[in-house]
Amino acid sequence: MQARSVYKVPAGKLLKISVDYDEKTFVIKEIGITGDFFAYPEEAIELLETRLKNTVIEKTSLLKKISSVITEYHIQFIGVDAASLTHGILMCKS
Amino acid sequence: MAIDKAILVTASVGNVPPTVRFYGWSPPAISLGYFQSLTDEVDIQACERFGVEYVRRITGGGAVFHEKELTYSIVVPESHPAIPKNIMKSYGRICGAVMNGLRHLGIDSEYAPINDIVTEGQKISGNAQTRKYQTVLQHGTVLMDVDVEKMFSVLKVPNEKIKDKLIADVKQRVTSIKHQLGKEISFQEVARAMTLGFEEEFHVELITGGLRKEEQVLAKQFEQECFSTTEWNHRR
Repeated sequence: MQARSVYKVPAGKLLKISVDYDEKTFVIKEIGITGDFFAYPEEAIELLETRLKNTVIEKTSLLKKISSVITEYHIQFIGVDAASLTHGILMCKS
Repeated sequence: MAIDKAILVTASVGNVPPTVRFYGWSPPAISLGYFQSLTDEVDIQACERFGVEYVRRITGGGAVFHEKELTYSIVVPESHPAIPKNIMKSYGRICGAVMNGLRHLGIDSEYAPINDIVTEGQKISGNAQTRKYQTVLQHGTVLMDVDVEKMFSVLKVPNEKIKDKLIADVKQRVTSIKHQLGKEISFQEVARAMTLGFEEEFHVELITGGLRKEEQVLAKQFEQECFSTTEWNHRR
């Protein structure tokens, strides 16, 4: 199942997420995170996309996974954060 | 974009001093933020029709239509005492140089986080920063004039039905040196004002110079291997 969300983060930037996930298990097969935000280092976004594969689209799992990647790779986001990335992905779940 | 990256790489190994560059765009072009989807943001067929090029930046932020503007870039080591370690504070500091420059043109402005400079509430400059190899690169626009209709003929809008409203909104939110002063100012005049602005902000004297051989070679390499390629520009 393919889905897409557009989320203007309050006091932040525009987040556009496209997800391909299993309809029955809600497990992410592919994910693309795009938008006009900033991340340091920039290449970390590809890493985050890779690490989100096989994650269930569910608030706690997503937040935990995203936060752990941010911590592990010392990613600094500006205009988005773990909570808004989680929210954007959850918006894709129909 | 290739030149900015070449300066960044060359400065990171100490082969060139901190560098400020002023440049324009010919032909007009769209620069796309690192994280943006090209097909989401840019009408590629319209670009071909109007002779507008497009390139993905190594910095985040939004898509920018570059035509009547001065673009600046500054490259400086992260360890430089004038550059705050905190990224948001460093945006503010570098934007301070642009605001000084605008003041020399008779325009009062203020920094509007995250990455804009506004005058009377309207955006006159957008800025984007990356940090690589312990070096800061920030580049940004100083709008000399703006043609919102043309901008939205090459940038995609989320909904064609609200295109007219969007154009009207953007006209309200964006301004330019020409609009502020009621007259055209040449690129050279804006560059002179910005030179003073950077000198004042960082208490330095800028020395005019061209790219060194190493930077030229790297710029050509980055253009060929990265910025002109489909792989780079269409990667998202």
